[in-house]
Amino acid sequence: MTLDYIAIAILSSLSTASILLIATLGLAIVFGLMGVINLAHGEMIMFGAYAALLSTRLGVPFPLAVLLATGATALFGAVVEILIIRRLYGRMLDTMLATWGLSLALYQSAVLAFGSVTPGIGMPQMTVRIGQYGVSAYMVFLIFVAVSCVAGLFWLLTRTGYGIMARAAIADAETASAIGIESSRMNTVTFALGAGLAGFAGAILLPVFPATPSMGFALAIKAFLAVVVAGPLPLSGTVTAIGTLGTAGGITSSIWSTAAGDLFFFGTTILILRLWPNGISSLWRYKL
Amino acid sequence: MLRRTWTKVGPRSLLCVLALGAGLAPQANAADPLKIGAIFDLTGDLNIYGVQQMRGLRLAVAELNAAGGVGGRRVEVIESDAQSEQAKYTQYANTLVMRDRISALFAGLTSSAREAIRPIVRRSNTPYFYTSLYEGGACDKQTFVTGPSASQQLSVLVEWAIKTYGPRIYIMAPDYNFGTISASWVAHYAQKFGGTVVGTDLLPLTVTDFSSTIQKIQRAKPDFVVALPVGANQTGFIEQFSAAGLKDKVGLVSTNYGSGNQQVVVSPEAGKDIVAFPEYMMWVNNPENDAFRQKWEQAYGTDEPIIGTAVDTYNAVLLWAKAVEKAGTADAAQVIEALESGLTLEAPNGLVTLLPQSHHLQMNIYVARANTQRGFDIIETRPAVLPSFESEVCDLIGKPKTAKHFTPPGL
Repeated sequence: MTLDYIAIAILSSLSTASILLIATLGLAIVFGLMGVINLAHGEMIMFGAYAALLSTRLGVPFPLAVLLATGATALFGAVVEILIIRRLYGRMLDTMLATWGLSLALYQSAVLAFGSVTPGIGMPQMTVRIGQYGVSAYMVFLIFVAVSCVAGLFWLLTRTGYGIMARAAIADAETASAIGIESSRMNTVTFALGAGLAGFAGAILLPVFPATPSMGFALAIKAFLAVVVAGPLPLSGTVTAIGTLGTAGGITSSIWSTAAGDLFFFGTTILILRLWPNGISSLWRYKL
Repeated sequence: MLRRTWTKVGPRSLLCVLALGAGLAPQANAADPLKIGAIFDLTGDLNIYGVQQMRGLRLAVAELNAAGGVGGRRVEVIESDAQSEQAKYTQYANTLVMRDRISALFAGLTSSAREAIRPIVRRSNTPYFYTSLYEGGACDKQTFVTGPSASQQLSVLVEWAIKTYGPRIYIMAPDYNFGTISASWVAHYAQKFGGTVVGTDLLPLTVTDFSSTIQKIQRAKPDFVVALPVGANQTGFIEQFSAAGLKDKVGLVSTNYGSGNQQVVVSPEAGKDIVAFPEYMMWVNNPENDAFRQKWEQAYGTDEPIIGTAVDTYNAVLLWAKAVEKAGTADAAQVIEALESGLTLEAPNGLVTLLPQSHHLQMNIYVARANTQRGFDIIETRPAVLPSFESEVCDLIGKPKTAKHFTPPGL
């Protein structure tokens, strides 16, 4: 194994982990800040992907299409929160059932609206070369996107009024409302934020994963596992869980086989949950 | 009490029931329509294929009925939507066979669907047509396959690709029987045509990120990659392969790329120059296909390119109709005998011959290169390719009781 191969394997494993992180953040925020498990997360990714795809087809440049898709999915998330989620607070199983139903409805709507094949937009055909190996420039760019997302969320949740109020409403809803924080509005905004992040994921990953009605499912499986492994802290927990699981799984697939990579990912998940049933961040003393 | 009522009313009502039964017993009246069953995935994940299969079937039936039916009887289709769920195939096949007493069944895309159906049609002795490309090896009296088998396509693919690109082969395939069996055929033909398999990656269907596969391909330095992407997720492989800058150095060939209109989803830059080896593409040039395309486009428009499995289904209905005409009845045993008489059909994909021993089709395999208009150019036609493996192992004339799924040696 040569040095350039090791370098490229690490780089592509990092991009694998970054893709997973981008697809997971929305789910982690909603779970961490609201205690809601959104089983329609994958379909919200799909929603964002189609929103971006339709925008580019109308001639909107791709970066702008990503923003539009994020906004549209966030708006959709807010509507979902007001119509469904808020009626089921504190009933976790019912919320899961409702969001699962929503995911089925969204999936079938996409089949009916777009048919089963829609022309994709394709990846920019640019390559980063290391020695005699190449990796797609867009995949490397996704590492940067993932880092920016985490930094942006950290800033949003620790340095802005919304972030402090949202965390206050979660930490102690009664005290928060006593000092004038309307927790139901906070929840709507938080759910919209989570949905927006899912939409952003679908849009920014559109060049890599063509939009299809079932695309959310494949992305969501590992996202759910990552959130469970991460535990209560949505940012530090998720980043750690995915950073280690995703990268190590990626390296395992590069060295052995893709099936071995998946085996490693799921095996380690089981092991971690055996050792820390509430997730790795359950004993940490950070805030996020 | 109950008992007394029974003795009082019993014999009489029993007589009534018997009389009613006699009146309802199916009598093949010349004016009665011929009923055939169709189960395809009209919704769910697999509807990329299922919708077109059903359209192919409807088109053939409409054509038959417009020409006065089959043996003077109108053909009536009973349609079921399997919703891309395996269990539905068992359920609907049983219903169609037992309640509707269909004369023939046309159903299924995946091998698991076919395997769910085979025991049911074997029990009821109903001619069953499986109309998709697949890994090959299905062999029993009631089952007829109108799509190409893996050995049929891969013999052409491996020979062509070794000649065009060179001897080093890498295989990317889905991790279930279609992928593993196809991979072993590639290895088999590689040996025959002087190539070597330098690497294989079998991928779970849920994998969407192919970075590690692409790294391994670069390390193995193949002359070409045999990619068999199945399902929407694996279509992304093409895009990622191309964006990693491999397209210029490594050839990309496939048996099934385009079979679900993947060339529409993949961007033209990434898809360009991929070579597929299908049994049909709508760009095939012959008078039957021109006529077929015209009818299709009239009925369904031009939104989606016509895929191979649609034509396989269309051909299956017409072959069945020929057999019924020849037998002069829709009776299963005689129709199966007629189907085993070496029927041929001038089909949209060229001349096809239904082989009596193997119940598979001898047919053209096309060499089709993807262009930049989300379509393909047919660059070569291999006429009348035999399903060599099935012809070798499956002899339903000599051993009519065979009911097996043959797998290639060494697997």
